[in-house]
Amino acid sequence: MLKFLNRDRLSYAVFFIAIAIIGLSVENYYYVQLLTFIGINTILALGLNMLMGYAGQISLGHAAFYGLGAYTTAVLTVHYGFSPWLALPCAILLSMLVAFLVGLPTLKLSGYYLGMGTLGFGMIVHIVFREWSSMTGGSSGFIGIPPLEIGPVSFSQIRNFFYLVWLTVLISFIVSKRLIHSRIGRALRAIHDSENAARAMGINTRNMKLEIFVFSAGLSALAGFFYAHLVSFISPGTFSFIVSIKIVTMVVIGGMASVWGSLLGASLLTMLPEWLHAFSEFEMVVYGLILMLVMVLLPQGLTRGLLDIYERTRSKKDQP
Amino acid sequence: MLQELLQYLFSGITNGAIYGVIAVGFSMLYSSTELINFAHGEFVMLGALGLVSLWGGLGIPLPVAFLLVVIGVAVVGFLFERLAIRTVRKPNPIVLVIITVGASIFLRGIGMLTWGKDAYSVPPFSDHDPIDLAGAKLLSQSIWIVGIALFFVILLHLFFKKTLTGKAMIACAISKKAAWLTGIPSERMVLLAFFLSTGMGAVAGIIIAPITMCSYDMGTMLGLKGFCAAMLGGLGSLWGSILGGFILGILESLGVGFFSSSMKDAIAFFLLLLILYVRPGGIIMAKDIKRF
Amino acid sequence: MNEPDRKKTSHKPLLTLNSIAKAFGGVQALWNISFDLKEGMVQALIGPNGAGKTTLFNLITGIFTPDSGEILFDGRPIGGKKVYDLVQVGIARTFQNVELFGSMTALENVMVGQHVRTRCGFWSAVTRTPWMVKEETASRKKALKIMAFVGIDHLANRRSSELSFGWQRLLEIARALSSSPRLLLLDEPAAGLNTVETRQLGTLLKKIQAQGITLLLVEHDMGLIMDISNRIVVLDQGEKIAEGTPREVQSNEAVMSAYLGRSEH
Repeated sequence: MLKFLNRDRLSYAVFFIAIAIIGLSVENYYYVQLLTFIGINTILALGLNMLMGYAGQISLGHAAFYGLGAYTTAVLTVHYGFSPWLALPCAILLSMLVAFLVGLPTLKLSGYYLGMGTLGFGMIVHIVFREWSSMTGGSSGFIGIPPLEIGPVSFSQIRNFFYLVWLTVLISFIVSKRLIHSRIGRALRAIHDSENAARAMGINTRNMKLEIFVFSAGLSALAGFFYAHLVSFISPGTFSFIVSIKIVTMVVIGGMASVWGSLLGASLLTMLPEWLHAFSEFEMVVYGLILMLVMVLLPQGLTRGLLDIYERTRSKKDQP
Repeated sequence: MLQELLQYLFSGITNGAIYGVIAVGFSMLYSSTELINFAHGEFVMLGALGLVSLWGGLGIPLPVAFLLVVIGVAVVGFLFERLAIRTVRKPNPIVLVIITVGASIFLRGIGMLTWGKDAYSVPPFSDHDPIDLAGAKLLSQSIWIVGIALFFVILLHLFFKKTLTGKAMIACAISKKAAWLTGIPSERMVLLAFFLSTGMGAVAGIIIAPITMCSYDMGTMLGLKGFCAAMLGGLGSLWGSILGGFILGILESLGVGFFSSSMKDAIAFFLLLLILYVRPGGIIMAKDIKRF
Repeated sequence: MNEPDRKKTSHKPLLTLNSIAKAFGGVQALWNISFDLKEGMVQALIGPNGAGKTTLFNLITGIFTPDSGEILFDGRPIGGKKVYDLVQVGIARTFQNVELFGSMTALENVMVGQHVRTRCGFWSAVTRTPWMVKEETASRKKALKIMAFVGIDHLANRRSSELSFGWQRLLEIARALSSSPRLLLLDEPAAGLNTVETRQLGTLLKKIQAQGITLLLVEHDMGLIMDISNRIVVLDQGEKIAEGTPREVQSNEAVMSAYLGRSEH
């Protein structure tokens, strides 16, 4: 166990240094911004991975919590003059509260039915963002969300924002890893493997699912908060059904039940559209094809899939 | 008041028939493969735009164009099963969902490449004057839509009840293994299910084409609504799906008429949640209910 | 041989079933079942296929609720309690087809068994408070001790889905034991085991009994049952047809006809 902990700590340290090096060395504004988006998406993917990869509960409506985070901070800072740092806990708590209320009936469902329940919820929230114009700006969007600042440090400087987001990613990683390797994490994984046996071991599966759903919603809202203050403009399209699916895709392509897989999946899916700009109008076709190909060839996701390939080639080498 | 109510009812029934046809496509595929096809809406889009090109563009007579489009789209569905779905080694629901999502993005892309970003429209199937009923106007296209929808559903019903192949498909849906043991080629049944399901999608697209603007991105919302209808009536049940479609269409149209049009799209999803919480098997209880 | 038996019968009943009945649709699965299970005993539940053993098992473990009658555990009614609450009370079980947590290591499986005996929640898991670390270490130690008791401590870090079936059986028993149960229910623990493994299982079950844990098992292997059980309850077609010591049951005519009569057809 001690050895294991050390390996984790080592990877955190490497991660931390990597953030510092990238932050210092990347000059191009566009790239720093892209990397910041990757960080935000990593938080999103991590939140969903905790729910889907570890506890085995699918959600096709996670963009709703992302959006709740973004819209709550937008409304509070612009309409009510809150400081963003005061809006942050409000956004997270509201999102968690909604997750709790929605999760109570929804998490009774399982499999496809759970997927559909969360999908319906996501659509409704999206429609509310679109139609509640007086509050959210409607489909034309919400402008003028103030940038973040702490005393003299302004995060309208993209590089500062980069550090802020990625340090948050690091903290989210640590928090998630700790959860996974605790009594709670074991219970969640138990539910994933066999809900029957989990119940027979005294795990209150309903409460446990609800707790991780709420936690997951909180992380998504955090990502939404960052997004709103980074871009300063939000519109319902950013939190639509397609986006919910995109988050699921990040988790599955990166690798379910893998914290680092979330990072990989978020990186790939954030960068892919940027690369695909080169294809101009073929962008959608290529994107769809890549999605299908990866799932057909590596249904376990890239992390596990590539590891398997690596292990296979190594074992081939071992036995000539 | 009565006139208004009747008018909303007419438009509700018209939309409901379309939702119903889409829902039937969902249901059929689900009952024989346990797969929710998120690309289903794109097949509706292909059906509508296919008709725009063949009938509106090339001037092929309507019945011929109708047939060609349905077969063409069903062939695409057929290829989709062969090339993407069947190649998955360990079919796990989440992976399959993402593959169908990938397919939907892919097909939408193809639609955009072929037809561009413009919206098209086609004239009604026949230019009869609207029928006047207590002041409410019933469009001839509405009659076409409901008639064609019911025609196909009855056709499917007869196919499942009267033909050997149809019965074999039902057997497969109930238990793949048992069907396999009695010598039913379950793989071919899955293929057939895809063929029929996407064909029904095309039918929905064709009949909706004259009453809406057709463009490459029309499929997503229609697909989701059809899905809600299927859940409402009972996923896996033919008549349940069509019933769900009518209920959804009518409630939506009444909601728009008497409350506000802004929440139109939300009605479908409210109904979806409601049915999931109250009666997850749908109004007509389907075979297995995944709820504890 | 008689001496310890008499001492045990002086114990109060740990589990009491009072005229339990359960029907599914029109089928009466169980009818008027009553028996006591005294603390510290090994009691077996036998009967031909379809006798209702599994249903009775599921009633005791809280998966089903009885239509009528009551189930008392340590004098308190437990009928209708949730599955997970029963573990808290002290009832643990294993499954007929072994249901382990396949993606987790053997050790983690056993640690999950302690779920109701540990307290660490979300917040303490994240903050890693000293008491949480202490609890975690203690839980790990206890898990290893139980694995050693069962004889599988050398497999602690292996993924449970990779283990052979025999090991998985034992791991499941270890997992159940780690919830510190007073009553352990075993659903056909010898199914799928060979004769050597079955004999080892018998020894293990006696060791578990010696720890003061009461055992109730559904089993088909008569050799094992005669070897380890103190009392046997025989079910046939949803009714109790006999109860007694292995010797009494063996010579019981109703039992003979239920078993032999059926197999002659």
